[in-house]
Amino acid sequence: MAAAAAVPGPGSGSGPAEAAAGPGGEEAAGAGPQCPGPARLARLPLARVKALVKADPDVTLASQEAVFVLARATELFVETIAKDAYVYAQQGKRKTLQRKDLDNAIEAIDEFAFLEGTLD
Amino acid sequence: MAERPEDLNLPNAVITRIIKEALPDGVNISKEARSAISRAASVFVLYATSCANNFAMKGKRKTLNAGDVLSAMEEMEFQRFMVPLKESLEVYRREQKGKKEARKDKDKKADSEEQDKSREEDNDDDDERMEEEEQNDEEEVDN
Repeated sequence: MAAAAAVPGPGSGSGPAEAAAGPGGEEAAGAGPQCPGPARLARLPLARVKALVKADPDVTLASQEAVFVLARATELFVETIAKDAYVYAQQGKRKTLQRKDLDNAIEAIDEFAFLEGTLD
Repeated sequence: MAERPEDLNLPNAVITRIIKEALPDGVNISKEARSAISRAASVFVLYATSCANNFAMKGKRKTLNAGDVLSAMEEMEFQRFMVPLKESLEVYRREQKGKKEARKDKDKKADSEEQDKSREEDNDDDDERMEEEEQNDEEEVDN
């Protein structure tokens, strides 16, 4: 279980292997068995998140930790918006989430106001 | 490559997996909805970054840190993310500490690398290179 290996265990011999497998573990954690619960490693690749952070001309530098927290926050955001949009699919008696469900959620929910006009 | 920040996408496979796990079994998602969520996620990162950067600037710092991102979440009214984010950060810090110690042992021979390691941002790049096969030359770009 790559995810379990990446989480701190006995450090000694597996150290270098983890250093190589760790980052791979972050990706593999998505492909393989996942640790349940919120306290998990990021599934989104940190390099891509970092690329987005660097796209902001006002940002000079971001610490590794900052990028990690952003990645995790984004995952939580995706979960949240999917669930909120699904409510509208249910109202429409559908089992497939559609674009309009998302639009409805964005319009209805204050926290998603920042998304208005950005998805087209 | 990407021309605008909003065009920088997060990997579809990962986004899809996160969505599917958030929804009950048997629920599907249309391609349009999935790509809209992916785009929303990119916008989220950009917006959160901007918000977090304000906190960094307020603290007269040039480097965004984890605390700035957490403050941004609160500002964006995503307080419900705070506890899971703090927990994840704990796990991440422990893991990073483990990696660092493993590397220190390896690098005891190479003294020059010790100097590089003390700069967190360089470490960052090292890790990124290990993580991603793709080379992000943008990493070196100054804004």
